[in-house]
Amino acid sequence: MPESTGQSGVIVFDNVSKFYGDVLGVNRVNLSIPPGVTSLVGPNGSGKTTLMNLMTGLVQPTAGRISVRGVAPSQPELLFGFTGYCTQFDSFPKGLTGFQYVYSWLRLSGRPHAEAESMAWAAIDTVNLREAAVRKVAAYSKGMRQRIKLAQSIAHNPSVLVLDEPLNGLDPLVRAETIALFREQARAGRHVILSSHVLQEVDAISDQVVLLAGGYVVAEGQIRGVRSEIQDHPMQILIRCDKPGALAARVFQQDHVVEARIHADRRGLLIKTRDPEQFYLLLNQIALNGIEIESVAPADDDVNSVYEYLIGSEEATK
Amino acid sequence: MISLWSRQILAVLRLEMRKTFFARRGLWIYLLALAPVVLFAAHSIDVMQQRAQRQQRAAACSFSPERMAEIKPGMTREQVIAMLGQPAHRDMRRRRREAHEFLWYSDAQTDFIIHLTGGEVTGINRRESSNLSEDSLVFAGVFQFFYLRLAVFFGCLGVFMNLFRGELLDKSLHFYFLAPVRREVVLAGKFLAGLIATVLIFSLSTVLQLWALSWHFDSNSIQQYLWQGNGAHHVAAYIGVTALACIGYGSVLLAAGIFFRNPIVPAALVLIWESANWILPAALKKISIIFYLQSLSPIVAPAGYNVPPPLALLASTAAATPAYLAITGLLLMSLVVLTIAALKLRRLEINYSTD
Repeated sequence: MPESTGQSGVIVFDNVSKFYGDVLGVNRVNLSIPPGVTSLVGPNGSGKTTLMNLMTGLVQPTAGRISVRGVAPSQPELLFGFTGYCTQFDSFPKGLTGFQYVYSWLRLSGRPHAEAESMAWAAIDTVNLREAAVRKVAAYSKGMRQRIKLAQSIAHNPSVLVLDEPLNGLDPLVRAETIALFREQARAGRHVILSSHVLQEVDAISDQVVLLAGGYVVAEGQIRGVRSEIQDHPMQILIRCDKPGALAARVFQQDHVVEARIHADRRGLLIKTRDPEQFYLLLNQIALNGIEIESVAPADDDVNSVYEYLIGSEEATK
Repeated sequence: MISLWSRQILAVLRLEMRKTFFARRGLWIYLLALAPVVLFAAHSIDVMQQRAQRQQRAAACSFSPERMAEIKPGMTREQVIAMLGQPAHRDMRRRRREAHEFLWYSDAQTDFIIHLTGGEVTGINRRESSNLSEDSLVFAGVFQFFYLRLAVFFGCLGVFMNLFRGELLDKSLHFYFLAPVRREVVLAGKFLAGLIATVLIFSLSTVLQLWALSWHFDSNSIQQYLWQGNGAHHVAAYIGVTALACIGYGSVLLAAGIFFRNPIVPAALVLIWESANWILPAALKKISIIFYLQSLSPIVAPAGYNVPPPLALLASTAAATPAYLAITGLLLMSLVVLTIAALKLRRLEINYSTD
């Protein structure tokens, strides 16, 4: 069976470009995506879906080379033995029930009836759709359609799961369960590549992010690493302490501190620094000099802030 | 590997057969296949009614058909009646200020209509009962010039062209493209599904047409034609030609659905080429599907069948290709077309917004 291939390795984009006629999809993308949850983040038209379609062979690169755990996307017979793709396309083969949709896909992969049937029910149970599975997909709500697509993409226990806006239309309970499922897949050493507009969720789920804007990769890697490389925006740090005024007076003597603002509840200080490492060293000294520090936490090293700094500014300049 | 591909082709077949046979938008294909059956059934009903009327006329007049040879132009009505007796039926018409009279005699097999103008015989018209050889020729003409070129062609267009293009328009083709199956295997499964559907529908229609055409003959004549004449061979040959037409047109139209965003234009060009085949020079005739299908038909319909005489002058003929060459050629052509289509499919992108 095809599952025997592609069990290790990374997903590689080697100088990949994709043009739709004159329209740019993505340009000169170089990525090496390790196992874990990787989120593709970017505004509409930034190239997220194009990247996913490229790595699953639905579109071919105009230039460059792609390899998914050592397999080229032009070999679907190998690739989809270990890859599942939950697309944004909201259309299904006509006349199928939810069960038939998942079951038929498993039969297409060459599995015998009994195996396909049990795997289909297992996947349907995972997305909590057993009762509705005997109904036609055409009669499903948006959330149910999203869940049956998800069931189909995970039915064969893929080691690479590509999910285009997978949480769209899901209710909070299923959303939480789905996120837990992604984390579980990642812990098992599998690739989970997803795109989402909900940055809080991306922050909670992702091991690494790929930020895209206008068809270009703006940044990639672990979110804190990406944040520390953004020099234009000083790092924000929130310090909870008993004497925020005294602390403000002390830190303002430092050149790298560009702003210090006492928190609204007067029990903390929000500072902006160009050199976080120097600042943390300073805090150690301050702690020894009579100011009781309760907690220190970065305030803008989440996806939301990184997105705002890297892509928000690009959007604004357009 | 062969076993895996077989299972995958069966899985594609299961999905496609449901769509091909029971799709509401495919209803017109059944009607198209049924049209010639209705035509031949209507012909049979008409022949049976005529036969009943002829028998009534034969009972109403008693004359000897041999004496009909003695009726000569210029004879008067009275002379005719004196020789043949009273007619079974009389018609009177006025044309260009002249009185035309028609005297009907019948011997139950043939109607003799004596035409008198101004009271004198000007001609004798014989209307014979329908016979198998005449009907076979009519069937050959309808089969080759209507059924294959229009009904089977448009039926294949409705089925095969939609196998991929229809799914691109419905935005559901990615279901197949995201499965661990070679796209060539998907193509083979879809083509087989289309082939099974069209061969079943149109072969059944061919059999029903032959049955409807022979409905008005007595069972003895039919048995004799089938088992002592060439009947069984003809039926088998017509079914075989229908199946080959489905293979030939099916492969071309399936490829058109993959290659062209609007495949109606190339399909129309193929139809025009196939329809104009009877006036093409011999060398060009051979670059068509219909030429080989006609070569394989058990009865050759005259070139330019059912065409007005001035246009019939344009008809050209070419020596029929031997059956083994025609069959092999058609199958090879289909295989080549499907191989090219498979190569294109391998590179086909899912980009629904532009389709």
